[in-house]
Amino acid sequence: MSFLLTYLWGWLAAAWFLGFAMGWISVVSHGRGLSRATLQQALLLAVALLALAAVQAVPGRAGYGLDLALLMLAAYVIGCVPGAWLRGKVVARNLRRSARA
Amino acid sequence: MRRFFQWTHKWWPGLVPLAVLWVAALWSTTAPLERELAARAGQALEGNVLDQTQLGVSGRDLTFAAAAFSREGRQSAVAAIEAVPGIRLVVDESRLVPEARPFVWTVERDVVRVTLGGNAPLPAIRARLAETARASLGEVEIADHMRLARGAPARFDAAASLLIEQVAKLKEARISLSDTAVKLSGMARELGGREAIAAALKGLPPGYSVAANVIQAPPYVFQANKDPVADTVTLTGNVPDDTAKDHIIAAAGRKFFNEKVADQLKTSIGAPAGFVAAAIPALEALSRVSTGSLVISDREITVTGDALYAAAVTDIRLNLLSHLPKDWRAKTEITVRPAVGPVDATVCQELLMQLMGKAAIRFESGDATIDRDSAGLLDRVVETAMRCPSAPIDVIGHTDAEGEEPANQLLSERRAQAVVDYLVKAGLPPERFTALGAGSLRPVASNATVEGRAQNRRIEFVVR
Repeated sequence: MSFLLTYLWGWLAAAWFLGFAMGWISVVSHGRGLSRATLQQALLLAVALLALAAVQAVPGRAGYGLDLALLMLAAYVIGCVPGAWLRGKVVARNLRRSARA
Repeated sequence: MRRFFQWTHKWWPGLVPLAVLWVAALWSTTAPLERELAARAGQALEGNVLDQTQLGVSGRDLTFAAAAFSREGRQSAVAAIEAVPGIRLVVDESRLVPEARPFVWTVERDVVRVTLGGNAPLPAIRARLAETARASLGEVEIADHMRLARGAPARFDAAASLLIEQVAKLKEARISLSDTAVKLSGMARELGGREAIAAALKGLPPGYSVAANVIQAPPYVFQANKDPVADTVTLTGNVPDDTAKDHIIAAAGRKFFNEKVADQLKTSIGAPAGFVAAAIPALEALSRVSTGSLVISDREITVTGDALYAAAVTDIRLNLLSHLPKDWRAKTEITVRPAVGPVDATVCQELLMQLMGKAAIRFESGDATIDRDSAGLLDRVVETAMRCPSAPIDVIGHTDAEGEEPANQLLSERRAQAVVDYLVKAGLPPERFTALGAGSLRPVASNATVEGRAQNRRIEFVVR
């Protein structure tokens, strides 16, 4: 794992920034989010893929593609969290200032 | 916190550019990653002894194919690859090198090349054996047909290297090592090569043995050529050692009284048993022909030439055969030289005096038995006597002054008679010869010195 993190750090960083940006946008986005059921299904799919990767069931290049996809997805999600949290803080502060004014 | 979970429901649109990013990453990193992992796996295998190693990388999975030389070596190689960071799965397609029973290794030499064949236990040993062959055989083409196999005996490489070094001493060779049994056949390059190889084989590692050694040596050749024009006898070829050489040259000096002995001999080991004992009578045979040659090849003697008279042809052959050591063979190709023209008694006398001036007829000490070294000289006497067939000849024996005169008188008469017997046996009529003894009464030199006494011990011929 450490080898992959080292070898793919650039791509993972890009995924993290993408996630950070998406998290930042998601706070003020007016679009409809995924339904709870869809999100659960997506999570289930991710867990299933994670299990496949863990047991090394997918061989060769496809297996590497799966590992890479899961790592990038993880970096993306990990990037979303601080993006959304920081944007949430900014929005809340702006709302407090508007209220005082 | 609730709002945060609501936000997570809106993170999905980023998955589309993430998928694009994933495809780009997959496209640009797969091949370099595979190359990197293959290189790392190759480095990890460097300490392992393997043959035909092949590494195939697909993604992070590696297929390892190789021939290993032991179970431990195979496990160690797989473990080394599995420990390489980044490799996810190792598909082990390695196998053990087949075991050879018996473990046979060969080296052969023909006119063109030296071929290394059979089994070798490890690639490094195989390379080392080929290198040893190149180093010890110089410019000769080396063909490496060795296969790798398990089951080599201990210290195989030392034994095989020693055997390769022996090939340099052979013109043709087939050497095999079957487990610890060595078999050699072929032809030695030089005299003594067979013996040198036999000595070197004593240096085989413990446990190894020579099952068969049928290396042949080139013929051991000794030659003597008698040139009557140059009055020279040239000795060429081989003799076993300096002692034998001195012995043969001294014998030649005594037997060839009229010729200069040219020594072109060289000492070489590998002489057949009884070489000197066979060479001496062979030289005697040559001394009795007017022109000719002697060839000794291993245990076979060939004498060719022209005898001085007809009876000598058979006598030379029988004399040679009767004095040869056991297991020696002799072939004579002797003809009779055309008779030289007759001369009158005066010339006959002159010729006999010239002969006696060149050498003395030798007898065994205190006895009337003619020394065999004098056969050539006596044949000349016979030939000369035949040139004056009607002239009677007195054969007079003389002794030195050592001992009692009656005994000397008797000895001189017996020695004169021995010479007459020789002449009669050669075909001359007995009535032509009278054997007389003069004892020590007519010395030609002082009896006080060794040289003088030697001159006084003589045979005189008086042609009447």
